Amino acid sequence: MDTIVQQLINGLSLGSVYALIAVGYSLVYSILLFSNFAHGGFLVIGGYICYFVLRSMEMSIWVAAFAALFGAGVSAVLVEKLAYRPIRERTPITLYMLIASMGMSIVIENIFVVTIGGRFRALPPVFPSGLVDFMGVATINQSDLLSLATAIVFLVALQLFLSKTKWGLAIRAASYNLRVAGLMGVNVNRLISIVFFVAGLLAAVGGIFLSVKYTLYPQLGAMITTKAFVAAVIGGLGSLPGAVIGSLILGLAEMLAAGFISSQFRDLIVFALLIITLIVRPTGLFGKSVGEKV
Amino acid sequence: MSEQNVETTKKPLLSVQNLSVNYGAIRALKGADLDVYAGEIVAVIGANGAGKSTLMNAIMGDVPRAGGQILLDGNPLPAKSFQVVTSGVSLSPEGRKVFAPLSVYENLEMGAFPLKDRSAVEEQMGKVFTLFPRLKERTAQYAGTLSGGEQQMLAIGRALMAKPRVLLLDEPSLGLAPIIINEIFKELTEVNKKLGMTILIVEQNARKALLLSHRAYVLQTGSITMEGQSKDLLHNPEIEEAYLGGKKK
Repeated sequence: MDTIVQQLINGLSLGSVYALIAVGYSLVYSILLFSNFAHGGFLVIGGYICYFVLRSMEMSIWVAAFAALFGAGVSAVLVEKLAYRPIRERTPITLYMLIASMGMSIVIENIFVVTIGGRFRALPPVFPSGLVDFMGVATINQSDLLSLATAIVFLVALQLFLSKTKWGLAIRAASYNLRVAGLMGVNVNRLISIVFFVAGLLAAVGGIFLSVKYTLYPQLGAMITTKAFVAAVIGGLGSLPGAVIGSLILGLAEMLAAGFISSQFRDLIVFALLIITLIVRPTGLFGKSVGEKV
Repeated sequence: MSEQNVETTKKPLLSVQNLSVNYGAIRALKGADLDVYAGEIVAVIGANGAGKSTLMNAIMGDVPRAGGQILLDGNPLPAKSFQVVTSGVSLSPEGRKVFAPLSVYENLEMGAFPLKDRSAVEEQMGKVFTLFPRLKERTAQYAGTLSGGEQQMLAIGRALMAKPRVLLLDEPSLGLAPIIINEIFKELTEVNKKLGMTILIVEQNARKALLLSHRAYVLQTGSITMEGQSKDLLHNPEIEEAYLGGKKK
């Protein structure tokens, strides 16, 4: 019983960090209809910015986090302008962007390998690491609680941005039909830049917490992109609530597997979930269903 | 249709000059010319594949123009869609293309995207609701759950939200029952009269389009082959034969 409660809380915490990454990934998918495999690169960029601002400049975590979020957001916009915009202006076939994103993922990873090396780095102990007693049945790491709370704050903020602002409405409209959103007077290139900035920023939030949990290394992005991809497919590609639910399921499944079977079964469970989803419900839990009457 | 005395010496509000559009090797528009004067309803009729939608999309900057120019009030219309809308031309696209997962209200808000001022949005929405009271009853409903006719009203209302100077309509009768088409076209007359809206409409339903419009052009495989007052074209034997299903007794 104790283990269940303990692993449920750990799973929610991990799932909420995945959600930050999967939501951005799903947001990009919903607008441009391709899987951006460079998405994990944004969280690595955020992680390294945070690391260097903390280590070399010895600034506070607030400054470091702000720099990381902003830097990752700008990097995401640049990646889109450099690698994806030239393609989407020439062809409507999104497969080319998918391939370009795989290339960009390797480029980002290797920029870090050649400039600062591929070794594992630990973030300085900026987050509280004490243990909290949870009603006598479980002990939770304070940084896990912090990541859960932060993830909720950012996901709620994203939801408010999408539901309450003019550009949020435009993004929702564009996720249904980008071309028609352009016909409504929306500057489509600016909208895509905003989407990539938001996606990069959210990835960096996740990146900082993952760097604390797993240490930071250039290949961290590729591993997490796969997880975000699985979470997004489980929830239904392009659906934001789906990405959040899918991420929580994934986090819970990983932690329950680790708690009751073995840590080595974590990834097996992840991919088993992916395969089951694709067989049983290929559109995912929240796949698009509202059709347009012709 | 009432007699519309358009002075030919007046400058057109929208002027399409020698417009060409290519899709790869296919020449979809081969130097089309047409003028729309303020307050007019102008129809472009033609068969499937004549280039009607291409004409609309080229004006909107949605497909690249290969040649020619488009002037709004004497100034060249910009090349990008969002700038075209901001300049004062908006489109109700073929197949309606309402945002199905958004509410009717949100669809109309999207149409008003270029408007900066919140009160201007409310004012314009009031006008749209006066013209299409059925939309007002359904503001909270998802656009995807509306009937085809209501979706067409929403698409027209959405295009009106941007306060355009010229409203473009691409096949508003597509896929609708005849009784609904009559309703929509009656409302379009209202849009023209009550708002003084200048309208350019492309339609396969030639009879409806000619009854609605003041003037009309015939588009045939990418070229304008005929133009004139709509009521004259309606009784032109050539048009009757080709587009109106032969002569009626």
